[in-house]
Amino acid sequence: MVTLSDLKISEVKLGEEQTGKWGMVIDQDICTGCQACVAACAMENNITFVGEEDSGYGRSMHWIRIERFWEGEYPEVKMTANQPMLCQQCGHATCEPVCPAFATVHSQAEQLNLQVYNRCVGTRYCANNCPYQVRSFNWRDYQRPEPLPNQFNPDVTVRRMGVMEKCTFCIQRIHKAQDKAKSEGREVADGEFTTACAQACPANAITFGRVDDPESMVSQLAKRSHGVKHLEELGTLPNVTYFKGG
Amino acid sequence: MSEKFSRRDFLKLAGVGAATSAILTGCGPASRYVKREPYMQMPEYNYNGQSTYYATTCRECAAGCGLIVRTVQGRAIKTEGNAGNPLNLGKTCARGQATLHGLYNPDRVTDPQKRSSRGSGSTQVMDWDAAIQVVADALKNNKPEEIAFLMGMAPDHLFDLVSDLASATGMNAPLRFGALGMFEARATLSKAAENLFGEASLPFFDVGGAQVVFSFGANFLETWLSPVSYTRGFAGLREAKTKMRGKFVQFESRMSQTGGKADEWIPLRPGTEALVALAIGKLASEIRGGAMPRAFENVDPIDTASKSGIKLETLEHLAGMFAGSNGALAIPGGPALGQSNGLAVAEAVLALNAISDNFGKPGGVYLSPLAPNQSEYQRPASAQEMQEFVQKMADGKIKVLFVHGVNPLFELPTALGFGGASKSVSQIISFATFPDETAREADYVFPDHHGLESWGYQRVATGSAQPVLSGAQPVVSPYYNTRATVDVLITAAQLAGGSFASALPFKDEVEFLNGKVSALMGEVDGSISAPDLATFMAYFQQHGGYWKNSDERVAPKAGDALNREISAEEAEFAGEGEFFFVPFVSPTLAEAGANKPWLQELPDPTTTVMWNTWVEMNPETAHELGIENDDVVRIVSEAGELEVPVYLYPAIRPDTIAIPFGQGHTAYGRYAENRGVNPADLLGQHFNEAGDLAFAGMKVKVEKTGVKKPLSRLESIMGVYGIGLGEEH
Repeated sequence: MVTLSDLKISEVKLGEEQTGKWGMVIDQDICTGCQACVAACAMENNITFVGEEDSGYGRSMHWIRIERFWEGEYPEVKMTANQPMLCQQCGHATCEPVCPAFATVHSQAEQLNLQVYNRCVGTRYCANNCPYQVRSFNWRDYQRPEPLPNQFNPDVTVRRMGVMEKCTFCIQRIHKAQDKAKSEGREVADGEFTTACAQACPANAITFGRVDDPESMVSQLAKRSHGVKHLEELGTLPNVTYFKGG
Repeated sequence: MSEKFSRRDFLKLAGVGAATSAILTGCGPASRYVKREPYMQMPEYNYNGQSTYYATTCRECAAGCGLIVRTVQGRAIKTEGNAGNPLNLGKTCARGQATLHGLYNPDRVTDPQKRSSRGSGSTQVMDWDAAIQVVADALKNNKPEEIAFLMGMAPDHLFDLVSDLASATGMNAPLRFGALGMFEARATLSKAAENLFGEASLPFFDVGGAQVVFSFGANFLETWLSPVSYTRGFAGLREAKTKMRGKFVQFESRMSQTGGKADEWIPLRPGTEALVALAIGKLASEIRGGAMPRAFENVDPIDTASKSGIKLETLEHLAGMFAGSNGALAIPGGPALGQSNGLAVAEAVLALNAISDNFGKPGGVYLSPLAPNQSEYQRPASAQEMQEFVQKMADGKIKVLFVHGVNPLFELPTALGFGGASKSVSQIISFATFPDETAREADYVFPDHHGLESWGYQRVATGSAQPVLSGAQPVVSPYYNTRATVDVLITAAQLAGGSFASALPFKDEVEFLNGKVSALMGEVDGSISAPDLATFMAYFQQHGGYWKNSDERVAPKAGDALNREISAEEAEFAGEGEFFFVPFVSPTLAEAGANKPWLQELPDPTTTVMWNTWVEMNPETAHELGIENDDVVRIVSEAGELEVPVYLYPAIRPDTIAIPFGQGHTAYGRYAENRGVNPADLLGQHFNEAGDLAFAGMKVKVEKTGVKKPLSRLESIMGVYGIGLGEEH
């Protein structure tokens, strides 16, 4: 159970050092763009599909998407390394200060950007302010005809029209692992659980874990010299590190 | 407002209004006391009962990956890979994740059905006793040689049951087919292995251990043979843990998802793959020194350069790369084999491996181990064998056709004429889980359970060093009034009596499975062992199957792989037209994913298109023809024509167009029906020497229609908001 004190809005000031708690490393060199993470995320997090027309208008609800760009022209054309893009769980998130309803808040306990669905009034300021474009908005109550709802994950809220949503780093899995560890009187071990995307990835391109633990796999990987953080210059302090391809 | 309306009246009226609104809000005093859930009560922060986890086998393709399915209160919630299964080691592809959208699909066949007439939507629900009687009568009242089973590439336990039934009664041996097998050119691969190594087996390419990988059309990161296993191999190639980061070169006329990951993408002219492989072999042999192998003697690199459109310097550079590495590996596959000279391509590319002498070595070519309960490699039917079967149907030699796990009306090239030939079959009985095209043309549909509701096993044909038999068990109880096809056949065979009854003397499916799997109890070096059958079967289900602990890949005998002539002939192309035609399997939908809504909404990895079919065309070519993005064009081949919107694809040869296979259903549920087109409508009846369809051996025409159809794509909203249509909205 989370207490109110855990949920205090972060009082960290811009420019202050902040390490974060949970983080991710994504190796673009081995990501094949197969979309297994996208499907796994949708199944774990009760993400709705929106159909051909709405997805054409850019309303699809992917919490994680694979970006690829083209370089050069035929025959010297090259596809850039696949880039899985998801909420970077910023230490200084630009989505947070613009929310008038405190629906987009920073959790002191998990050092994550929370999205509180029942506070969200749908202003979409947060999505406009996110430099990574990773928030998706429920433009409608999308239909999932019976018996598809049988598949819903009971650990995750089913969102309705007018609510913003985004990647949570599978917070329900974090809590389960923490509760289990607590009941056994120990700390959560590195690699004991992972997010749905990392668990599915056939290439093992995604590593998830504690970035504030220097011994964890994700911290060890993030130290590698070719790791980059996207749009770091904005001062967002993202918690996802990328290894560029090629 | 009239003058008579006084201020007093107004206040009265306003008072009534206020009272009314008070009553209206007052009608819900309870609503004031609805407990507003504070946010810490979100499900994300709570336990909602306990989950149970079951090991089973994925049925979205025939690879046989192990799954662990999380269930809560009898509902399947999430699939994960089975970390114990040596094939996929805890991983899944997108289709494995979306298998739950098949289980809980709103358009399943819910009950046994009798169709009023073939092709009609009107059906009558039957009870299972009557249904089984229909099957029993079909078995009993026809000559065994007039009964045929057409089956998909999974599941294997049903195939074994029908094979046993056929051999005991004289029925036709079951024929297996799948569009994936056709587009993988499996028959060509195993025939080439037979010609070179003396063994008709499925080669296994150890991508993970290699230093340089040359792939001639093999789309091994998409749907090819065992994509999860090959993706792991690719990660091993790239990761510089114990070795240098491996290099990857892809030869193909249209950049596939796999080709997009290549360091060098070589857009050769379709049909020249064998020539290019042999020329690289010759140049590499020259670099390595020694006598020139016979296989490469007659090829001229300069001539190859002009025919293939690859510069001589590029060929020399590639040969240097191949010859200079201790871990060079060459893989043939995909459209390169689906041509008139496909067998020669496969042999030429496999022979390249002899230069780096990698047969049976890490990073090299192996023959896949047979599964634990398998005595010889059985490949699915080639398209030519399917053509022979269709001919048999058309000649009236088949009176009863049973169909399970395959949808020939969608997966086979239309030109093969399955639809027409089926009219000569007196009775068609489908066991389809979903109302697909073939089920609609069947007289009866006796639905099998979904894969996640089923018992069974699947032999892992390739992708694992260890022999693996993946076990399947129901993770939830059947959602609808469906019945296991094995149970239906066992009961029907007993009703039919005679040799049918004696062939299947089982109480039910589980007893049949126990009999098949118990043969493994006596084997040594297995993943599980137990003194008695009940315990052994419990372990089998608990761990998701049985596998050997040892690496049993076979080193191919390649003594004279290079000491033989390999044809360098270019492929022949059928049909009139200015464009080479490359159909490819949609990496996200594959052959049977179109009815799963989340697979439809996954962006295609190369084009990011969702929910539809497109044709890929080089932007330069399109510009010359005056074609823009989203323009609908008519593609005309010798076998048929279809209309499809254009996607300007920067990584395709100017003389080539490509269409994904997977959409274009006329049945198969609400998410699949009337969406996109099926490139199988364009395919003709041309085969390579191994009997595989020359699906990439056609030339087609492109005609403008003047119509626009905006494609939904993740990458951009161009076209969708009417951009280019002159109607911004």
